[in-house]
Amino acid sequence: MDEEDPRNGDEPIPKKPRVGLALSISGPGPEIREEFAHHQPGIARINNGSFGSCPGSVLAAQRAWQLRFLHQPDEFYFKTLRKGILESRTVIKDLINADHVDEVSLVDNATTAAAIVLQQIGQAFSHGLFCKNDTVVMFHCAFQAIKKSIQAYVVRAGGAVVEIQLPFPLHSRQQIVSEFRKGLERGKANGGKIRLAIIDHITSMPSFVIPVRELVDICREEGVDQVFVDAAHAMGTVPVDVKELGVDFYVSNLHKWFFCPPSVALFYCRKSLISSQIHHPVVTEEYGKGLPMESSWIGTRDYSSQLVVPSALEFVNRFQGGLQGIMKRNHDGVVQMGSMLAESWGTILGSPPHMCGSMIMVGLPSRLCITSEDDASRLRSHLRAYYSVEVPIYYHAPRDGEVGPRDKEGLITGYARISHQVYNTLEDYHKFRDAINQLIEDGKVCKMLLAE
Amino acid sequence: MASSPQVHHDRDADCDRCDRHANLNGDSKTHLPKKPRLSFITHSEILTEFSHHDTSVARINNGSFGCCPASVLEAQRVWQLKYLAQPDNFYFNELKKGIHRSRTIIKELINAEHVDEISLVDNATTAAAIVLQQASWAFSEGKFDKGDAVVMLHYAYGAVKKSIEAYVTRSGGYVIEVPLPFPVNSNNEIITEFRKALERGKANGRRVRLAVIDHVTSMPCVVIPIKELVKICREEGVDQVFVDAAHGIGCTDVDMKAIGADFYASNLHKWFFCPPSIAFLYCRKSPKLSELHHPVVSHEYGNGLAIESAWIGTRDYSPQLVVPSVLDFINRFEGGLEGIKKRNHETVVEMGEMLTKEWRTNLGCPPDMCASMIMVGLPACLGISSEMDTLKLRTHLREKFGVEVPIYFRSPKTGEDGSTGYARISHQVYNKVDDYVKFKDAINQLVRDGFTCTLLTK
Repeated sequence: MDEEDPRNGDEPIPKKPRVGLALSISGPGPEIREEFAHHQPGIARINNGSFGSCPGSVLAAQRAWQLRFLHQPDEFYFKTLRKGILESRTVIKDLINADHVDEVSLVDNATTAAAIVLQQIGQAFSHGLFCKNDTVVMFHCAFQAIKKSIQAYVVRAGGAVVEIQLPFPLHSRQQIVSEFRKGLERGKANGGKIRLAIIDHITSMPSFVIPVRELVDICREEGVDQVFVDAAHAMGTVPVDVKELGVDFYVSNLHKWFFCPPSVALFYCRKSLISSQIHHPVVTEEYGKGLPMESSWIGTRDYSSQLVVPSALEFVNRFQGGLQGIMKRNHDGVVQMGSMLAESWGTILGSPPHMCGSMIMVGLPSRLCITSEDDASRLRSHLRAYYSVEVPIYYHAPRDGEVGPRDKEGLITGYARISHQVYNTLEDYHKFRDAINQLIEDGKVCKMLLAE
Repeated sequence: MASSPQVHHDRDADCDRCDRHANLNGDSKTHLPKKPRLSFITHSEILTEFSHHDTSVARINNGSFGCCPASVLEAQRVWQLKYLAQPDNFYFNELKKGIHRSRTIIKELINAEHVDEISLVDNATTAAAIVLQQASWAFSEGKFDKGDAVVMLHYAYGAVKKSIEAYVTRSGGYVIEVPLPFPVNSNNEIITEFRKALERGKANGRRVRLAVIDHVTSMPCVVIPIKELVKICREEGVDQVFVDAAHGIGCTDVDMKAIGADFYASNLHKWFFCPPSIAFLYCRKSPKLSELHHPVVSHEYGNGLAIESAWIGTRDYSPQLVVPSVLDFINRFEGGLEGIKKRNHETVVEMGEMLTKEWRTNLGCPPDMCASMIMVGLPACLGISSEMDTLKLRTHLREKFGVEVPIYFRSPKTGEDGSTGYARISHQVYNKVDDYVKFKDAINQLVRDGFTCTLLTK
């Protein structure tokens, strides 16, 4: 290892042998099981999408960084921290094909990146740089934190918001493209400019992959000022190439699908005339030196999750095919399992396989009578408490004019979002299948389920 | 409150076994349940608790990054592993309860009226951004008039000054700095300057909308008479008072009702033994105060700052969850937190006086204006003539002498020939007399060698 490598220290971390994997769903071998031995046993953990996961070897690397700080924090601050963060940012720059490491910042999570982008937009409205009719455009199914952030920063400052509704279930990318075009028209309807378009790369609930490249091209055609891609789930599930996408801002969590500990996100900001107006809301003496510098010091904190990015990459590269291999096997696995569940329950998938990454929406039997978000919550809690299955449930309210999908007994209004990550086993999905079948057999409906 | 020093105790043992003090545990100002205690933490137990510190370093800079004992780190690890084992269950069933418990303990410790007034954030820098972002909105939305003033101390922390620039100046506020003398001799010197600054603030029909006052300044380090300054602010019609007490809890006396500020922020990882990082931001309940918001907006937006701060997206919240374990640690010491503070203060003054006597220099302020840190004049012959020199000297002390101590550059006034450099020494429970002797010897060595800062290349 390079003598500058901060990982050289009193306790060198041993290099581990490559892990070969065959079919995704043949199950994780003993090394992977060991890496995730800290996961609670007996739980069908099919919700990697919410909180992600971190293998034991990366946690060990993190601990080493934490101990270095605690050992002599002043020296760590003056000599070690910056180099470590720069190394992480450089690894990211190469992974996402950014032009320059100056375009890559590390922040806590996608929620933080959204606040950074929206604060800048809000200030432009407040200071009169944007007009009252100017708009911000986003999807109706955008993550709730993003919606609230828009309220807090844009609406409060006098900006207007246009929400684009997307159909669900989905059959093709074209459905998204055409709704998006219509949405942009609405955004310009009052003679204003569209100052910002917020596009999910992979939506959260319901989850599907958005054709980002096409939408960004449309944004440029239609004169949208800034494009912000909320790609919380992208890194580690779909290929990420920011130059090819041509976006202004792109954020992806690394603790969800890239094996980092909680929490760290990559935040790409294309070099442009507004770069100097992008600031971290927690201001320090780094203010004005560019977002990467500002984000690398926001007061005394534990920065170890940002420092282990090289270790996470090392972990990924132990797999056959590296990140590509993992993504492919997760995708194949989740599609296979989704189809198995839909078949067992007589329901459908929420989107075709080519519109999903490592997560897929699976229709739940109408007999469960999921008629509200409360029902969905209740079912989720019940599955956790009584069946040891962890999976988020989505309630899709039938909309006017929409012909919803049906199973043999009625309208499908509930969907489970299943994830597949390297630690998942066939048993996880069988457990879920059997739990739902048991509930049906017992004649249960959501409203009667005990949540604890 | 102060009792006479327990002279039979070895100074290096922060607290020795002593049956007589069975009732002296916990902070007597709180209503926390007192555990019967037959013995206090021993000297060797303290060494074990901080055995992860670099023992080759005289670590006399607790003020910068604080410290965290092994038993609290262990408690933190338990929380972290709990989350990693089943994060969904943790989020739905554990996290909010844990944070609420921490906030409740803090509310008791600082004599706040209601737990709603206590929010947990990463650090004082974040708290400042929260208060100042609110001021920025007030200027933008016309609640404050453009040109209204925000007052801060000249010795305000660099990050806070930048935050004021980012949020206040950019939104049209007018910033006034209160110049403070250093060395300083009495509270009156500070009070006088503060009054003058408020007058300037109100000139030309301006209003002073916000006063940002340090409880304990960072560099140079002095305890500010904030009770008096807050009173003056009220008398003079200042809208909001924000006390930046990064060095507050565990260092100096923190009593929200007695101090009377609108906003008060203190780090808990500096002097309250929490792991990095956690701070509380106290916001007095009042109908006339605008709602504060966390700048990282989540689905909790609008539910109050405390709830907003308790969820700002997926993160490791474990530093916020170990407050109960920290209280357990503190209560192993004689006199609890008050005992620790008292002994830190007495020892740092004693060490400061030892050093100034040795070097024939002066302290930066009288003992009653310092808490667990004190400014010690360095020999003038070291030739410290700029801030860059202080950084170079600090690095030199770290690398060549194994001493970690921050140094402050004080521009000489014409005709003066006193110290141009002051070291800010700290004392925390893990320190020993040897640490300060090591520092004394290092400086003596430099002086003997005819060292000056110009000898150090960048």
